[in-house]
Amino acid sequence: MSKNVESTSEEVLVSRSARGDEQAFGVLVERYKGMLYSMARRLMKDSGRAEDAAQESFIKAWAALPGFKGESKFSSWLYRICYNTCISELRKRKPEVELDEAMGVPVEGPAQEFRNRDIQSTIQEEVSRLPDDYRAALTLYHFNGLSYEEIAKLTHKPMGTVKAHIHRARAVLKTRLVERVGWDNLKEVMWQ
Amino acid sequence: MNCEEIRRSVQDYVTRELSIEDRRLFDAHLVECAECQRELALMTALVSTLDHQPVLEPSPGFGQKVLASLPRQRSFALSPWWAIALAPMLAGLVWLFRIPLERGVAGLLGRLGVSNVTVPAVSLQQAGIAAAAIVGLGLLMAAGGAVFCWRAYLQE
Repeated sequence: MSKNVESTSEEVLVSRSARGDEQAFGVLVERYKGMLYSMARRLMKDSGRAEDAAQESFIKAWAALPGFKGESKFSSWLYRICYNTCISELRKRKPEVELDEAMGVPVEGPAQEFRNRDIQSTIQEEVSRLPDDYRAALTLYHFNGLSYEEIAKLTHKPMGTVKAHIHRARAVLKTRLVERVGWDNLKEVMWQ
Repeated sequence: MNCEEIRRSVQDYVTRELSIEDRRLFDAHLVECAECQRELALMTALVSTLDHQPVLEPSPGFGQKVLASLPRQRSFALSPWWAIALAPMLAGLVWLFRIPLERGVAGLLGRLGVSNVTVPAVSLQQAGIAAAAIVGLGLLMAAGGAVFCWRAYLQE
């Protein structure tokens, strides 16, 4: 891939990809593969399935690019395709785990476990235990940086519901972190 | 604000969604409540951690795998040009078979009781051509509709 293409602006790359330029699309894939895979991984909770979902999202995007009118940002459009792909996969896979049930799952390991682990991975682990709707809203807000309004539009849910899901998810994470790690250990790690 | 209200609004405080007045009340309570200071510190750290989640990378060769699996005929199959290209072909076919088609359609309509026209003597070949033309047109419209829906679904 030439250096020239790699430094081309996103708008030009999108327009060239829409006309069937695979080299231009390849640059877009390289730019967004991490974001799309991370998003799919957080929604799907499984690396293999996440990679399949990310790949499928790019293929769908390639097919739909001639119809992309640029009314939204290319990244938001791509996230929407990825979100829809993951949600449709999740629906096929299993019935949604209720929050109460998820909260009732015994937590593995005592509080000391946290001393040997990174806080980031502990939080990730707890995020993956959230119900699908909560996890999706939380991921789109914090990781993809979308606003409540954008998430509401993407997930076809009222904005109040989206905000409630994010608030509830954070509250659950906070409770679980304190339960797992203990306040003293947490304080030590967070402000070390 | 009391402790319960602080717990309810701590997330909005961290993400700066509280009104100026509520923020002032929140700060005033915070000064004198160690429990709520702890609550705020924990939520701030959690939100900050969630905001800075690392970007995960797919397996090596992912990009090549995506490019290798792209459908090759996209630009024709999913572009409106296919309809523009097919329209004159269809018009040409209709013109070529205009006489048997006209008789065939009239005959079919008459037999179905849709029109009061006198049923002309329609040969099997003429009726076949008329039926094939109608079915062909229907299939073409269905294909167009399917492509339209698929594109709408992909962009949803």
